[in-house]
Amino acid sequence: MGHRDRRLGRRMVLPLILLLLAVQGYPMAFAVYISAHDYRLTALSEVRWVGLEQYRGLLDNPSYWTAMKNTLVFVFGAVSLELLLGFLVAYLLWRPVPAQNLFRAILLTPMFVTPIAVGLMFRFLLNNQLGIIPVWLRSLGLEIDWFGPDLALFSLILIDVWQWTPLMVLLLLAGLEALPVEPFEAARVDGASELQIIRHLTIPLIRPVMLAAILIRMLDAFRVFEYVYAITRGGPGERTETILFHIYRVGFLYFRLGEAAAMAITLALVIFVLVVLLFRSLRRQEALT
Amino acid sequence: MTGLARGIAVKAMPARGILRWGRRWPVLLRFSMLSIAAVAVLFPFLWIFLASLKPPVELSRPSLFGFEPTGVNWSEVWLNSPFARYFLNSVMVGSLTVMVSLIVGAPAAYAFSRFRVGGTGLRFLILAAQMMPPALFIIPFFLMAYYVGLLDTIWAVAIAHLTFIAPLVTWFLIGFFEDVPRDLEEQAMVDGCTRWQAFVRVVLPAARPGLAAAGLFAFIMSWNEMFYALMLAGGHSKTLPVAIAGYWTFRGVDMGKMSVAITSAVIPVMIASFFVQRYLVRGLGGGALKG
Repeated sequence: MGHRDRRLGRRMVLPLILLLLAVQGYPMAFAVYISAHDYRLTALSEVRWVGLEQYRGLLDNPSYWTAMKNTLVFVFGAVSLELLLGFLVAYLLWRPVPAQNLFRAILLTPMFVTPIAVGLMFRFLLNNQLGIIPVWLRSLGLEIDWFGPDLALFSLILIDVWQWTPLMVLLLLAGLEALPVEPFEAARVDGASELQIIRHLTIPLIRPVMLAAILIRMLDAFRVFEYVYAITRGGPGERTETILFHIYRVGFLYFRLGEAAAMAITLALVIFVLVVLLFRSLRRQEALT
Repeated sequence: MTGLARGIAVKAMPARGILRWGRRWPVLLRFSMLSIAAVAVLFPFLWIFLASLKPPVELSRPSLFGFEPTGVNWSEVWLNSPFARYFLNSVMVGSLTVMVSLIVGAPAAYAFSRFRVGGTGLRFLILAAQMMPPALFIIPFFLMAYYVGLLDTIWAVAIAHLTFIAPLVTWFLIGFFEDVPRDLEEQAMVDGCTRWQAFVRVVLPAARPGLAAAGLFAFIMSWNEMFYALMLAGGHSKTLPVAIAGYWTFRGVDMGKMSVAITSAVIPVMIASFFVQRYLVRGLGGGALKG
């Protein structure tokens, strides 16, 4: 690669770098600044330097930890269910089946719907007076309070599973379709059973793709907001208060921007670690291909 | 999906050779299981569409069929409310964001795929940039929009959407440019083009499907985004997701109208998604995952 190519390359990247500095770099620095100040939307003329005080305050802020815990439960619950279900569906779609392309197109649709619409649809589908699902369950003798204190977070997880299992299917199916055929034929000649093949061949072979898919889903699940906003608004009590919703509440309902910014920065650090893991897993796969 | 559901696109591939050994699970069993999954996916869509046709008195009755369909909700929402304007707001925010992202992202992605400018560090930066949580940026954005008087304008929303759409588009395009054979541009340069001319005249046209897929997917992401839109433009510059959320208030819900709004917002992305699906895996992996 010549000197001129390198110069052209730098020029071609420059606009993107400038754009990212403007829309990400500067706001990020501003967020750090806000987090070190007592910055209230109701008193913008009385901004006061407080250093790390707001970070220290998070340590013994029970609402913050409840929101973090709820978010972790949500992320792990949703992503593990999506992995199981997504693998099953991808496996079913992998080999020829009648209407294969139609199934694929239908089963992928939920991930393209705006999450607020998904949240509202399920809010009213599962509503005890208006919804049709409780009517059917009642005719089976089941009375389930989907958004009561015990089940609310779990119901949000199920909604996430409905919407995002398709992404898992998409990624895992791509992984399955890229697998070589020979090892499977050899295993079959040796008389291995279907379950043995899945356990000792299929899963180990697509593990790298699985890891990338899990990380991509986790990164997304951490910012769950719309379902909470559409359905529970954090309740009952704080049972479904997730971290993004809590930041919204503290910043925009209680007007404590400084404290909200400090929370957002701790969340960004968690996300950053996951991005590092995702990047490493993608690079490893590139090295393989 | 927000976020990313950001992009790994998988291209549809023919099931080569798999036929011979893939006969273990009876086809009928697999077909029935997939049918159950399809019903679970389609049912909420069917339900919300039917609700949009129900006369207001029927809406409190949880039944699927057995009502006289009416267009009254549709005409109320589209003709007698500012909904069409919110629809237009979403179209404008999405087009603006995607246009800027393609103009800025395509050269950068090309420079990365051909010259490795910035190396691993830059590539990581692009991935990290699209994954950063919106909570980190919303407070600075809100204050900046407030200070410069951009609150409740589509500009504020479009700029906020650039934070994740621009890196997303760039990330997608890296993979697609790697699929364009290098011989193409080398031939163009032998014929007297400069490298830049070769990029504009030969590489960009050759990567058109990838550009279209990345642009459409980015448009869907912007169309569906609610967090920024809700905080930055809750008034007359609402985008569709914010408008949809607005049908459920503390005074109760207007089910019929909300169903119309949801159906109207979902149909365009459904159509777009069929064009995007086969490119999605390749794009999401930034070229690392096979599509």
